Amino acid sequence: MLRMVKRKRDKRHRRRALLGVALVAPLVIWLLLTIAYPIFSLIRLSFLDVGIIGTGGDFVGLANYQKVLSSRTFGPSMGRSLVWVLGNGVLQTLLAFVAALVLNLPFRGRALARTWVILPWIVPTVVAVIVWRWMLGTSGGIVNTVMLRLGIVQEQIGFFSTGASAMSSLVVMNSWRFFPLLTIIILAGMQGIAQDLYAAAAVDGASAWQRFLNITLPGLKPVLFVMGLVGTLWSVNIFDVIYLVTGGGPSRATMTMPVLIYDMAFLQYRLGRAAAAAVLMALVVTLFTIVFIYFLAPRGDDQDEAWR
Amino acid sequence: MSDSKRNLAIRYCLVFVLMFVIIAPFYWIYSSSLKESSAIVAQAPSLVPQSITLDHYANLLSSSDYPIYLTNSVVVSVATMAITVVLSTSAAYGLYRLPFPGRKTLYRLILLAYIFPGSLLLIPLYVMLSNFKLLDSQVALIVVNVTFAAPFSVWLLKAFFASIPFELEEASALDGANWLQTLLLIVVPLASPGVASVAIFAFITSWTEYMFASVLIVSDANRTLPVGLAGIIGQYVIDWGLLLAGAGATTLPIILLFVLIGRFFVRGLLEGGVKA
Repeated sequence: MLRMVKRKRDKRHRRRALLGVALVAPLVIWLLLTIAYPIFSLIRLSFLDVGIIGTGGDFVGLANYQKVLSSRTFGPSMGRSLVWVLGNGVLQTLLAFVAALVLNLPFRGRALARTWVILPWIVPTVVAVIVWRWMLGTSGGIVNTVMLRLGIVQEQIGFFSTGASAMSSLVVMNSWRFFPLLTIIILAGMQGIAQDLYAAAAVDGASAWQRFLNITLPGLKPVLFVMGLVGTLWSVNIFDVIYLVTGGGPSRATMTMPVLIYDMAFLQYRLGRAAAAAVLMALVVTLFTIVFIYFLAPRGDDQDEAWR
Repeated sequence: MSDSKRNLAIRYCLVFVLMFVIIAPFYWIYSSSLKESSAIVAQAPSLVPQSITLDHYANLLSSSDYPIYLTNSVVVSVATMAITVVLSTSAAYGLYRLPFPGRKTLYRLILLAYIFPGSLLLIPLYVMLSNFKLLDSQVALIVVNVTFAAPFSVWLLKAFFASIPFELEEASALDGANWLQTLLLIVVPLASPGVASVAIFAFITSWTEYMFASVLIVSDANRTLPVGLAGIIGQYVIDWGLLLAGAGATTLPIILLFVLIGRFFVRGLLEGGVKA
Protein backbone atom coordinates (compact mmCIF):
# COMPACT_ATOMS: atom_id res chain seq x y z
CA MET A 1 0.00 0.00 0.00
CA LEU A 2 2.71 2.41 1.09
CA ARG A 3 4.79 1.49 -1.91
CA MET A 4 1.87 2.19 -4.21
CA VAL A 5 1.41 5.65 -2.71
CA LYS A 6 5.09 6.31 -3.11
CA ARG A 7 5.07 5.14 -6.70
CA LYS A 8 2.08 7.32 -7.41
CA ARG A 9 3.83 10.30 -5.85
CA ASP A 10 6.98 9.61 -7.88
CA LYS A 11 4.94 9.53 -11.01
CA ARG A 12 3.30 12.83 -10.14
CA HIS A 13 6.68 14.29 -9.33
CA ARG A 14 8.07 13.22 -12.69
CA ARG A 15 5.10 14.63 -14.52
CA ARG A 16 5.49 17.99 -12.79
CA ALA A 17 9.20 18.06 -13.65
CA LEU A 18 8.39 17.31 -17.29
CA LEU A 19 5.78 20.05 -17.30
CA GLY A 20 8.38 22.43 -15.86
CA VAL A 21 10.80 21.65 -18.69
CA ALA A 22 8.03 22.06 -21.25
CA LEU A 23 7.08 25.47 -19.88
CA VAL A 24 10.63 26.82 -19.89
CA ALA A 25 11.41 25.37 -23.31
CA PRO A 26 9.73 28.03 -25.51
CA LEU A 27 11.75 30.85 -23.96
CA VAL A 28 14.97 28.88 -24.09
CA ILE A 29 14.45 27.99 -27.74
CA TRP A 30 13.61 31.62 -28.52
CA LEU A 31 16.83 32.83 -26.87
CA LEU A 32 18.91 30.13 -28.53
CA LEU A 33 17.64 31.26 -31.93
CA THR A 34 18.02 34.98 -31.32
CA ILE A 35 21.17 35.08 -29.19
CA ALA A 36 23.19 31.85 -29.28
CA TYR A 37 22.90 31.30 -33.02
CA PRO A 38 23.64 34.94 -33.93
CA ILE A 39 26.73 34.92 -31.70
CA PHE A 40 27.92 31.83 -33.53
CA SER A 41 27.28 33.42 -36.92
CA LEU A 42 28.99 36.64 -35.83
CA ILE A 43 32.17 34.70 -35.10
CA ARG A 44 31.89 32.96 -38.47
CA LEU A 45 31.35 36.30 -40.22
CA SER A 46 34.48 37.74 -38.65
CA PHE A 47 36.57 35.25 -40.63
CA LEU A 48 34.92 36.06 -43.96
CA ASP A 49 35.57 38.83 -46.43
CA VAL A 50 32.05 40.23 -46.55
CA GLY A 51 31.21 43.80 -47.46
CA ILE A 52 27.55 44.46 -48.06
CA ILE A 53 25.05 42.01 -46.65
CA GLY A 54 23.76 39.49 -49.13
CA THR A 55 27.08 39.23 -50.95
CA GLY A 56 29.11 36.09 -50.36
CA GLY A 57 32.55 36.16 -48.84
CA ASP A 58 35.75 34.11 -48.96
CA PHE A 59 37.38 32.72 -45.86
CA VAL A 60 40.21 35.09 -45.06
CA GLY A 61 41.41 33.72 -41.73
CA LEU A 62 42.48 36.43 -39.33
CA ALA A 63 42.79 39.16 -41.96
CA ASN A 64 39.79 41.09 -40.60
CA TYR A 65 41.27 41.00 -37.12
CA GLN A 66 44.63 42.21 -38.41
CA LYS A 67 43.02 45.09 -40.27
CA VAL A 68 40.95 46.12 -37.25
CA LEU A 69 43.85 45.91 -34.82
CA SER A 70 46.17 47.87 -37.09
CA SER A 71 43.60 50.54 -37.97
CA ARG A 72 43.93 54.04 -36.56
CA THR A 73 40.39 54.00 -35.20
CA PHE A 74 40.26 50.84 -33.08
CA GLY A 75 42.62 51.73 -30.21
CA PRO A 76 41.25 55.24 -29.64
CA SER A 77 37.67 53.91 -29.71
CA MET A 78 38.52 51.34 -27.04
CA GLY A 79 40.03 54.17 -24.99
CA ARG A 80 36.93 56.33 -25.45
CA SER A 81 34.72 53.44 -24.38
CA LEU A 82 36.78 53.16 -21.20
CA VAL A 83 36.40 56.90 -20.51
CA TRP A 84 32.67 56.58 -21.26
CA VAL A 85 32.17 53.65 -18.86
CA LEU A 86 34.19 55.26 -16.06
CA GLY A 87 32.54 58.68 -16.44
CA ASN A 88 29.07 57.21 -16.45
CA GLY A 89 29.87 54.81 -13.64
CA VAL A 90 31.11 57.52 -11.29
CA LEU A 91 28.42 60.09 -12.06
CA GLN A 92 25.51 57.64 -12.03
CA THR A 93 26.60 55.93 -8.82
CA LEU A 94 26.94 59.30 -7.11
CA LEU A 95 23.57 60.59 -8.30
CA ALA A 96 21.83 57.30 -7.54
CA PHE A 97 23.20 57.10 -3.99
CA VAL A 98 22.12 60.63 -3.18
CA ALA A 99 18.68 60.06 -4.72
CA ALA A 100 18.20 56.73 -2.92
CA LEU A 101 19.18 58.22 0.44
CA VAL A 102 16.73 61.08 -0.10
CA LEU A 103 13.92 58.75 -1.17
CA ASN A 104 14.58 56.53 1.84
CA LEU A 105 13.82 59.39 4.24
CA PRO A 106 10.26 59.61 5.51
CA PHE A 107 8.36 62.47 3.83
CA ARG A 108 4.87 63.13 2.57
CA GLY A 109 4.33 61.92 -1.01
CA ARG A 110 7.24 59.50 -0.87
CA ALA A 111 5.44 56.71 -2.74
CA LEU A 112 4.63 59.15 -5.53
CA ALA A 113 8.21 60.43 -5.71
CA ARG A 114 9.53 56.86 -5.82
CA THR A 115 7.30 56.07 -8.77
CA TRP A 116 8.06 59.16 -10.83
CA VAL A 117 11.79 59.23 -10.22
CA ILE A 118 12.00 56.51 -12.89
CA LEU A 119 10.59 58.80 -15.61
CA PRO A 120 13.86 59.67 -17.44
CA TRP A 121 14.61 55.97 -17.81
CA ILE A 122 11.30 55.07 -19.45
CA VAL A 123 11.11 57.77 -22.12
CA PRO A 124 12.60 56.96 -25.53
CA THR A 125 16.24 57.92 -25.96
CA VAL A 126 15.20 60.10 -28.86
CA VAL A 127 12.98 62.13 -26.55
CA ALA A 128 15.81 62.51 -24.03
CA VAL A 129 18.04 63.61 -26.89
CA ILE A 130 15.50 66.20 -28.05
CA VAL A 131 15.06 67.45 -24.45
CA TRP A 132 18.77 67.95 -23.92
CA ARG A 133 19.59 69.36 -27.31
CA TRP A 134 16.76 71.82 -26.77
CA MET A 135 18.05 72.82 -23.34
CA LEU A 136 21.75 72.92 -24.22
CA GLY A 137 21.41 74.83 -27.50
CA THR A 138 23.54 77.88 -28.21
CA SER A 139 20.78 80.12 -29.49
CA GLY A 140 18.13 80.57 -26.85
CA GLY A 141 18.85 77.28 -25.02
CA ILE A 142 17.54 77.56 -21.48
CA VAL A 143 20.78 76.46 -19.78
CA ASN A 144 22.90 79.04 -21.59
CA THR A 145 20.27 81.72 -21.05
CA VAL A 146 20.05 81.10 -17.29
CA MET A 147 23.82 80.89 -16.87
CA LEU A 148 24.34 84.12 -18.80
CA ARG A 149 21.72 85.91 -16.79
CA LEU A 150 23.14 84.71 -13.46
CA GLY A 151 26.60 85.78 -14.61
CA ILE A 152 28.06 82.27 -14.29
CA VAL A 153 29.45 82.50 -17.81
CA GLN A 154 30.27 85.50 -19.99
CA GLU A 155 29.34 84.00 -23.36
CA GLN A 156 27.35 81.05 -24.72
CA ILE A 157 28.87 77.63 -24.11
CA GLY A 158 29.03 75.24 -27.07
CA PHE A 159 28.19 72.05 -25.21
CA PHE A 160 28.94 69.83 -28.20
CA SER A 161 31.54 71.92 -30.04
CA THR A 162 34.79 70.50 -28.67
CA GLY A 163 35.72 66.85 -28.11
CA ALA A 164 35.94 67.14 -24.34
CA SER A 165 32.75 69.17 -23.94
CA ALA A 166 30.79 66.84 -26.23
CA MET A 167 31.95 63.79 -24.28
CA SER A 168 31.10 65.38 -20.91
CA SER A 169 27.69 66.58 -22.12
CA LEU A 170 26.91 63.09 -23.39
CA VAL A 171 27.95 61.54 -20.06
CA VAL A 172 25.64 63.95 -18.21
CA MET A 173 22.74 63.23 -20.58
CA ASN A 174 23.19 59.49 -20.33
CA SER A 175 23.59 59.60 -16.55
CA TRP A 176 20.39 61.59 -16.22
CA ARG A 177 18.67 58.82 -18.16
CA PHE A 178 20.07 55.88 -16.22
CA PHE A 179 20.55 57.02 -12.61
CA PRO A 180 16.81 56.55 -11.83
CA LEU A 181 17.06 52.81 -12.44
CA LEU A 182 20.14 52.55 -10.21
CA THR A 183 18.30 54.59 -7.58
CA ILE A 184 15.50 52.04 -7.47
CA ILE A 185 17.99 49.17 -7.31
CA ILE A 186 19.83 50.79 -4.38
CA LEU A 187 16.52 51.55 -2.67
CA ALA A 188 15.57 47.91 -3.01
CA GLY A 189 18.85 46.96 -1.38
CA MET A 190 18.27 49.44 1.45
CA GLN A 191 14.88 47.90 2.18
CA GLY A 192 16.56 44.54 2.60
CA ILE A 193 18.73 45.82 5.47
CA ALA A 194 17.30 44.95 8.89
CA GLN A 195 16.00 48.11 10.57
CA ASP A 196 17.00 47.02 14.10
CA LEU A 197 20.66 47.39 13.08
CA TYR A 198 20.07 51.13 12.75
CA ALA A 199 18.19 51.26 16.06
CA ALA A 200 21.03 49.47 17.81
CA ALA A 201 23.62 51.79 16.24
CA ALA A 202 21.62 54.83 17.33
CA VAL A 203 21.61 53.51 20.90
CA ASP A 204 25.38 53.14 20.68
CA GLY A 205 25.59 56.78 19.61
CA ALA A 206 26.74 56.24 16.03
CA SER A 207 26.51 59.31 13.78
CA ALA A 208 24.52 59.28 10.53
CA TRP A 209 27.77 59.05 8.55
CA GLN A 210 29.00 56.12 10.68
CA ARG A 211 25.69 54.34 10.20
CA PHE A 212 25.95 54.83 6.44
CA LEU A 213 29.53 53.56 6.38
CA ASN A 214 29.10 50.58 8.74
CA ILE A 215 25.56 49.40 8.10
CA THR A 216 24.21 50.74 4.79
CA LEU A 217 27.27 50.22 2.60
CA PRO A 218 28.07 46.65 3.77
CA GLY A 219 24.37 45.78 3.53
CA LEU A 220 24.32 46.99 -0.05
CA LYS A 221 27.29 44.84 -1.13
CA PRO A 222 25.29 42.28 -3.14
CA VAL A 223 23.28 45.04 -4.82
CA LEU A 224 26.39 47.07 -5.59
CA PHE A 225 27.99 43.99 -7.12
CA VAL A 226 25.10 43.41 -9.50
CA MET A 227 24.97 47.14 -10.26
CA GLY A 228 28.68 47.35 -11.01
CA LEU A 229 28.50 44.41 -13.36
CA VAL A 230 25.22 45.03 -15.13
CA GLY A 231 25.68 48.80 -15.14
CA THR A 232 29.06 48.45 -16.82
CA LEU A 233 27.73 46.01 -19.40
CA TRP A 234 24.83 48.31 -20.15
CA SER A 235 26.78 51.51 -20.44
CA VAL A 236 29.62 50.09 -22.52
CA ASN A 237 27.00 49.20 -25.10
CA ILE A 238 25.17 52.52 -25.25
CA PHE A 239 24.83 53.46 -28.87
CA ASP A 240 21.72 55.53 -29.45
CA VAL A 241 22.43 58.60 -27.29
CA ILE A 242 25.88 59.09 -28.77
CA TYR A 243 24.86 58.39 -32.33
CA LEU A 244 21.81 60.64 -32.20
CA VAL A 245 23.59 63.62 -30.63
CA THR A 246 27.07 63.70 -32.14
CA GLY A 247 27.22 60.77 -34.56
CA GLY A 248 30.65 60.06 -33.03
CA GLY A 249 31.99 63.58 -33.65
CA PRO A 250 33.36 66.18 -33.44
CA SER A 251 36.28 64.61 -35.33
CA ARG A 252 35.62 61.16 -33.79
CA ALA A 253 35.96 62.45 -30.21
CA THR A 254 32.86 60.53 -29.07
CA MET A 255 33.23 57.49 -31.30
CA THR A 256 33.05 54.68 -28.74
CA MET A 257 33.16 51.01 -29.74
CA PRO A 258 29.43 50.51 -30.51
CA VAL A 259 29.41 53.62 -32.72
CA LEU A 260 32.58 52.46 -34.48
CA ILE A 261 31.09 49.00 -35.13
CA TYR A 262 27.87 50.51 -36.46
CA ASP A 263 29.85 52.89 -38.64
CA MET A 264 31.95 50.05 -40.12
CA ALA A 265 29.00 47.76 -40.76
CA PHE A 266 26.23 50.03 -41.95
CA LEU A 267 27.94 53.17 -43.28
CA GLN A 268 31.22 51.81 -44.67
CA TYR A 269 29.74 48.41 -45.62
CA ARG A 270 32.56 46.36 -44.14
CA LEU A 271 30.52 43.70 -42.41
CA GLY A 272 33.32 41.17 -41.91
CA ARG A 273 35.62 43.74 -40.38
CA ALA A 274 32.85 45.10 -38.15
CA ALA A 275 32.15 41.54 -36.97
CA ALA A 276 35.81 41.16 -36.04
CA ALA A 277 35.69 44.43 -34.08
CA ALA A 278 32.53 43.24 -32.29
CA VAL A 279 34.17 39.93 -31.36
CA LEU A 280 37.23 41.76 -30.02
CA MET A 281 35.03 44.02 -27.95
CA ALA A 282 33.07 41.03 -26.66
CA LEU A 283 36.33 39.37 -25.63
CA VAL A 284 37.37 42.41 -23.60
CA VAL A 285 33.92 42.64 -21.99
CA THR A 286 33.89 38.91 -21.18
CA LEU A 287 37.36 39.19 -19.64
CA PHE A 288 36.14 42.10 -17.52
CA THR A 289 33.07 40.07 -16.46
CA ILE A 290 35.18 37.09 -15.40
CA VAL A 291 37.64 39.23 -13.44
CA PHE A 292 34.82 41.20 -11.84
CA ILE A 293 32.93 38.09 -10.75
CA TYR A 294 36.08 36.28 -9.60
CA PHE A 295 37.35 39.10 -7.40
CA LEU A 296 34.22 40.89 -6.29
CA ALA A 297 31.35 38.37 -6.14
CA PRO A 298 29.91 38.40 -2.61
CA ARG A 299 30.62 35.00 -1.07
CA GLY A 300 27.81 33.48 0.89
CA ASP A 301 25.20 30.80 0.92
CA ASP A 302 23.05 30.57 -2.14
CA GLN A 303 19.85 30.02 -0.17
CA ASP A 304 16.82 31.42 -1.84
CA GLU A 305 13.19 30.93 -1.06
CA ALA A 306 12.22 30.72 -4.71
CA TRP A 307 14.06 27.43 -5.07
CA ARG A 308 12.11 25.10 -2.82
CA MET B 1 13.99 77.10 14.55
CA SER B 2 14.30 73.80 16.37
CA ASP B 3 16.66 71.09 15.24
CA SER B 4 13.99 68.71 13.98
CA LYS B 5 12.21 71.49 12.14
CA ARG B 6 15.45 72.42 10.37
CA ASN B 7 16.01 68.77 9.46
CA LEU B 8 12.54 68.63 8.03
CA ALA B 9 13.14 71.76 5.94
CA ILE B 10 16.41 70.35 4.59
CA ARG B 11 14.66 67.08 3.80
CA TYR B 12 11.97 68.75 1.72
CA CYS B 13 14.59 70.90 -0.03
CA LEU B 14 16.47 67.74 -1.06
CA VAL B 15 13.27 66.13 -2.32
CA PHE B 16 12.48 69.27 -4.29
CA VAL B 17 15.93 69.38 -5.93
CA LEU B 18 15.70 65.72 -6.89
CA MET B 19 12.25 66.04 -8.40
CA PHE B 20 13.31 69.25 -10.16
CA VAL B 21 16.17 67.41 -11.89
CA ILE B 22 13.71 64.72 -12.99
CA ILE B 23 10.69 66.80 -13.95
CA ALA B 24 12.03 70.18 -15.12
CA PRO B 25 13.26 68.95 -18.55
CA PHE B 26 9.79 67.55 -19.27
CA TYR B 27 8.12 70.76 -18.19
CA TRP B 28 10.42 72.60 -20.55
CA ILE B 29 9.54 70.33 -23.49
CA TYR B 30 5.80 70.60 -22.97
CA SER B 31 5.72 74.32 -22.25
CA SER B 32 7.94 75.07 -25.26
CA SER B 33 5.83 72.88 -27.54
CA LEU B 34 2.82 75.10 -26.77
CA LYS B 35 4.57 78.34 -27.77
CA GLU B 36 4.17 80.24 -31.03
CA SER B 37 6.94 79.52 -33.55
CA SER B 38 8.38 83.02 -33.08
CA ALA B 39 8.59 82.48 -29.31
CA ILE B 40 10.28 79.08 -29.75
CA VAL B 41 13.25 80.54 -31.61
CA ALA B 42 13.46 83.66 -29.41
CA GLN B 43 16.91 84.41 -28.01
CA ALA B 44 15.44 85.03 -24.56
CA PRO B 45 12.99 82.20 -23.84
CA SER B 46 10.19 82.82 -21.36
CA LEU B 47 9.66 80.23 -18.62
CA VAL B 48 5.89 80.28 -19.09
CA PRO B 49 4.40 80.48 -22.61
CA GLN B 50 3.05 84.01 -23.24
CA SER B 51 0.36 82.72 -25.58
CA ILE B 52 -0.63 79.10 -25.98
CA THR B 53 -1.09 77.42 -29.36
CA LEU B 54 -1.74 73.83 -30.40
CA ASP B 55 -0.49 74.50 -33.95
CA HIS B 56 2.55 72.27 -33.65
CA TYR B 57 0.48 69.31 -32.49
CA ALA B 58 -2.00 69.92 -35.31
CA ASN B 59 0.92 70.03 -37.74
CA LEU B 60 2.29 66.81 -36.33
CA LEU B 61 -0.98 64.97 -36.91
CA SER B 62 -1.92 66.47 -40.28
CA SER B 63 1.23 67.19 -42.27
CA SER B 64 3.85 64.77 -40.95
CA ASP B 65 4.12 60.97 -40.94
CA TYR B 66 3.66 60.93 -37.18
CA PRO B 67 0.32 59.04 -37.26
CA ILE B 68 1.96 56.25 -39.30
CA TYR B 69 4.89 56.00 -36.88
CA LEU B 70 2.47 55.99 -33.96
CA THR B 71 0.43 53.12 -35.42
CA ASN B 72 3.60 51.11 -36.11
CA SER B 73 4.93 51.71 -32.60
CA VAL B 74 1.64 50.63 -31.03
CA VAL B 75 1.51 47.43 -33.11
CA VAL B 76 5.12 46.49 -32.33
CA SER B 77 4.88 47.36 -28.63
CA VAL B 78 1.59 45.60 -27.95
CA ALA B 79 2.75 42.44 -29.76
CA THR B 80 6.07 42.50 -27.90
CA MET B 81 4.21 42.93 -24.63
CA ALA B 82 1.83 40.02 -25.27
CA ILE B 83 4.54 37.58 -26.37
CA THR B 84 6.88 38.58 -23.53
CA VAL B 85 4.18 38.14 -20.90
CA VAL B 86 3.26 34.66 -22.15
CA LEU B 87 6.85 33.45 -22.61
CA SER B 88 8.20 34.82 -19.33
CA THR B 89 5.21 33.87 -17.16
CA SER B 90 5.25 30.32 -18.42
CA ALA B 91 9.04 30.08 -18.03
CA ALA B 92 8.86 31.59 -14.54
CA TYR B 93 6.18 29.09 -13.51
CA GLY B 94 8.34 26.24 -14.75
CA LEU B 95 11.50 27.59 -13.14
CA TYR B 96 10.16 28.61 -9.75
CA ARG B 97 7.24 26.26 -9.09
CA LEU B 98 7.90 22.96 -10.86
CA PRO B 99 11.06 21.27 -9.63
CA PHE B 100 13.20 19.79 -12.36
CA PRO B 101 16.93 19.07 -12.27
CA GLY B 102 19.20 21.78 -13.66
CA ARG B 103 16.68 24.60 -13.44
CA LYS B 104 19.02 26.82 -11.43
CA THR B 105 21.66 26.53 -14.13
CA LEU B 106 19.04 27.21 -16.75
CA TYR B 107 17.93 30.34 -14.87
CA ARG B 108 21.51 31.62 -14.84
CA LEU B 109 21.89 30.88 -18.55
CA ILE B 110 18.76 32.89 -19.30
CA LEU B 111 20.18 35.85 -17.38
CA LEU B 112 23.46 35.39 -19.25
CA ALA B 113 21.57 36.70 -22.26
CA TYR B 114 22.34 40.17 -20.91
CA ILE B 115 26.08 39.73 -21.39
CA PHE B 116 25.46 39.76 -25.12
CA PRO B 117 24.36 43.28 -25.85
CA GLY B 118 22.48 44.84 -28.68
CA SER B 119 25.48 46.30 -30.45
CA LEU B 120 27.06 42.83 -30.59
CA LEU B 121 23.92 41.12 -31.84
CA LEU B 122 23.02 43.85 -34.32
CA ILE B 123 25.15 42.57 -37.19
CA PRO B 124 24.33 38.83 -36.96
CA LEU B 125 20.63 39.46 -36.30
CA TYR B 126 20.56 41.75 -39.33
CA VAL B 127 22.12 39.00 -41.44
CA MET B 128 19.80 36.33 -40.01
CA LEU B 129 16.61 38.34 -40.42
CA SER B 130 17.56 39.30 -43.96
CA ASN B 131 18.08 35.60 -44.76
CA PHE B 132 14.56 34.96 -43.48
CA LYS B 133 13.31 37.86 -45.66
CA LEU B 134 12.08 39.63 -42.53
CA LEU B 135 13.95 42.91 -43.06
CA ASP B 136 11.71 45.97 -43.20
CA SER B 137 8.92 44.18 -41.37
CA GLN B 138 7.49 44.73 -37.93
CA VAL B 139 7.87 41.01 -37.19
CA ALA B 140 11.64 41.56 -37.11
CA LEU B 141 11.31 44.27 -34.46
CA ILE B 142 8.93 42.19 -32.37
CA VAL B 143 11.34 39.23 -32.44
CA VAL B 144 14.26 41.40 -31.34
CA ASN B 145 12.34 43.29 -28.66
CA VAL B 146 11.05 40.11 -27.03
CA THR B 147 14.62 38.81 -26.89
CA PHE B 148 15.73 41.86 -24.94
CA ALA B 149 12.67 42.10 -22.68
CA ALA B 150 12.13 38.45 -21.69
CA PRO B 151 15.22 37.57 -19.59
CA PHE B 152 14.79 40.57 -17.27
CA SER B 153 11.07 39.74 -17.02
CA VAL B 154 11.84 36.22 -15.80
CA TRP B 155 14.08 37.71 -13.13
CA LEU B 156 11.42 40.25 -12.19
CA LEU B 157 8.77 37.55 -11.68
CA LYS B 158 10.90 35.55 -9.27
CA ALA B 159 9.99 37.42 -6.09
CA PHE B 160 6.29 37.45 -6.96
CA PHE B 161 6.12 33.73 -7.66
CA ALA B 162 8.14 32.95 -4.56
CA SER B 163 5.63 34.65 -2.28
CA ILE B 164 2.68 32.44 -3.33
CA PRO B 165 2.03 29.59 -0.85
CA PHE B 166 2.37 26.14 -2.38
CA GLU B 167 -0.68 25.03 -0.36
CA LEU B 168 -2.91 27.08 -2.66
CA GLU B 169 -1.67 25.22 -5.71
CA GLU B 170 -2.06 21.88 -3.96
CA ALA B 171 -5.60 22.73 -2.93
CA SER B 172 -6.48 23.68 -6.46
CA ALA B 173 -4.99 20.41 -7.76
CA LEU B 174 -7.08 18.48 -5.21
CA ASP B 175 -10.15 20.28 -6.53
CA GLY B 176 -9.39 18.73 -9.88
CA ALA B 177 -7.91 21.76 -11.65
CA ASN B 178 -5.28 20.98 -14.27
CA TRP B 179 -1.98 22.87 -14.40
CA LEU B 180 -3.19 25.46 -16.86
CA GLN B 181 -6.22 26.27 -14.71
CA THR B 182 -4.01 26.47 -11.63
CA LEU B 183 -1.59 28.78 -13.42
CA LEU B 184 -4.21 31.07 -14.91
CA LEU B 185 -6.76 31.11 -12.06
CA ILE B 186 -4.54 30.89 -8.96
CA VAL B 187 -0.92 31.79 -9.66
CA VAL B 188 -1.20 34.60 -12.20
CA PRO B 189 -3.86 36.58 -10.28
CA LEU B 190 -1.78 36.35 -7.09
CA ALA B 191 1.32 37.47 -8.98
CA SER B 192 -0.57 40.13 -10.92
CA PRO B 193 1.60 43.10 -9.82
CA GLY B 194 4.57 41.14 -11.15
CA VAL B 195 2.82 40.30 -14.41
CA ALA B 196 1.79 43.96 -14.77
CA SER B 197 5.41 44.99 -14.21
CA VAL B 198 6.55 42.64 -16.94
CA ALA B 199 3.92 44.02 -19.30
CA ILE B 200 5.03 47.61 -18.67
CA PHE B 201 8.68 46.70 -18.97
CA ALA B 202 8.14 44.93 -22.31
CA PHE B 203 6.01 47.76 -23.64
CA ILE B 204 8.59 50.40 -22.69
CA THR B 205 11.51 48.36 -24.04
CA SER B 206 9.74 48.18 -27.35
CA TRP B 207 8.37 51.74 -27.36
CA THR B 208 11.84 53.23 -26.82
CA GLU B 209 14.00 50.91 -28.94
CA TYR B 210 16.03 52.82 -31.53
CA MET B 211 19.10 50.96 -32.77
CA PHE B 212 17.45 47.88 -34.26
CA ALA B 213 14.50 49.85 -35.57
CA SER B 214 16.88 52.17 -37.42
CA VAL B 215 18.74 49.32 -39.10
CA LEU B 216 16.07 46.65 -39.65
CA ILE B 217 13.42 48.98 -41.04
CA VAL B 218 14.09 50.49 -44.44
CA SER B 219 10.89 52.08 -45.73
CA ASP B 220 9.30 55.14 -44.23
CA ALA B 221 5.90 53.45 -43.97
CA ASN B 222 7.23 50.87 -41.47
CA ARG B 223 9.17 53.20 -39.16
CA THR B 224 8.50 53.38 -35.45
CA LEU B 225 8.33 56.61 -33.44
CA PRO B 226 11.94 56.85 -32.23
CA VAL B 227 13.32 56.44 -35.75
CA GLY B 228 10.71 58.76 -37.22
CA LEU B 229 11.55 61.47 -34.68
CA ALA B 230 15.27 60.98 -35.26
CA GLY B 231 14.55 61.62 -38.94
CA ILE B 232 13.20 65.06 -38.06
CA ILE B 233 16.34 65.81 -35.99
CA GLY B 234 18.48 64.81 -38.94
CA GLN B 235 16.96 67.38 -41.26
CA TYR B 236 19.10 70.32 -42.30
CA VAL B 237 16.84 72.92 -40.74
CA ILE B 238 15.21 71.55 -37.61
CA ASP B 239 11.56 72.50 -37.15
CA TRP B 240 11.77 72.74 -33.37
CA GLY B 241 8.05 73.30 -32.90
CA LEU B 242 7.27 70.06 -34.70
CA LEU B 243 10.06 68.18 -32.97
CA LEU B 244 9.05 69.33 -29.48
CA ALA B 245 5.43 68.44 -30.16
CA GLY B 246 6.62 65.04 -31.44
CA ALA B 247 8.67 64.46 -28.29
CA GLY B 248 5.74 65.51 -26.11
CA ALA B 249 3.25 63.31 -27.94
CA THR B 250 5.61 60.31 -27.86
CA THR B 251 6.09 60.65 -24.11
CA LEU B 252 2.39 61.06 -23.35
CA PRO B 253 1.34 57.36 -23.68
CA ILE B 254 4.14 56.37 -21.32
CA ILE B 255 3.09 58.98 -18.79
CA LEU B 256 -0.54 57.82 -19.00
CA LEU B 257 0.50 54.18 -18.63
CA PHE B 258 2.53 55.18 -15.62
CA VAL B 259 -0.27 57.11 -14.00
CA LEU B 260 -2.38 53.95 -14.19
CA ILE B 261 0.07 51.20 -13.25
CA GLY B 262 3.41 52.86 -12.55
CA ARG B 263 3.34 52.08 -8.86
CA PHE B 264 3.10 48.33 -9.60
CA PHE B 265 6.12 48.61 -11.84
CA VAL B 266 8.32 50.35 -9.29
CA ARG B 267 7.05 48.02 -6.56
CA GLY B 268 7.95 45.13 -8.82
CA LEU B 269 11.47 46.48 -9.29
CA LEU B 270 11.83 47.12 -5.56
CA GLU B 271 10.59 43.70 -4.47
CA GLY B 272 12.43 41.90 -7.23
CA GLY B 273 15.61 43.63 -6.11
CA VAL B 274 15.30 42.61 -2.48
CA LYS B 275 15.09 38.94 -3.26
CA ALA B 276 17.37 38.82 -6.26
